[in-house]
Amino acid sequence: MKRDPTDAIFSALADATRRQVIRALSEQGSATATGLASALPVTRQAVTKHLSVLAEAGLVTATRRGREKLYRISPQPLTGAVSWMADLGGRWDERLAALREHIASSKRRR
Amino acid sequence: METVEREVVLPASPEEVWPAVSQSEQISAWFGADAQLDLRPGGRGVFRWGDGTERPVLVEEVEPPHRLAFRWLPFQRTAANEIVTLPATRVDITLEEVPEGTRLRVREQAAFSLGTEPARASGTLAPVGS
Repeated sequence: MKRDPTDAIFSALADATRRQVIRALSEQGSATATGLASALPVTRQAVTKHLSVLAEAGLVTATRRGREKLYRISPQPLTGAVSWMADLGGRWDERLAALREHIASSKRRR
Repeated sequence: METVEREVVLPASPEEVWPAVSQSEQISAWFGADAQLDLRPGGRGVFRWGDGTERPVLVEEVEPPHRLAFRWLPFQRTAANEIVTLPATRVDITLEEVPEGTRLRVREQAAFSLGTEPARASGTLAPVGS
């Protein structure tokens, strides 16, 4: 019997390092474990372990490239939940920039 | 889950900024989604994005012109009318008067980490004084 995919996603994302891995992957588009380890404060072995949990949850997919695997974020329908978690801060940056503009332009109109 | 905190200094007083963060039509002008909020503790609300996604919220604290808190409920409805579960988070917005105008702080954090926090006097989720 298969586990509920949503549960697998959220337990995979409950770990702060795995969320960093997801964020780094979504910034880089695709990356190897070695490439991700150089961008994150963890070892390549740890990144590989996290990537396999993320792959099991269906959040990332791997294709073989030479001796290494190339990882990327899985396409829909998982990206909705993933980007929601990974990009919370980015969305507030955008909202607050828009709020600042909204306030400044209502001031100008007064 | 981590906490996200952001702040911005706005060139207007807290009294001038308050409607922009609390009134549905004004929120819709900057939030990236159309908002409809029943602005009182325990009030319901919904945000609607351009792609048809809708997410409900529960208003928890309203203290004009300094403080607004709401909780994203743990699901959203997609344009295809599917219910997708998401983590419940609480958003706290505070406005503080500074010489340049208003310092607005936003904090969003997983609601389950606040689960044991007793309701504040202005909240309605749990009996006051429990």
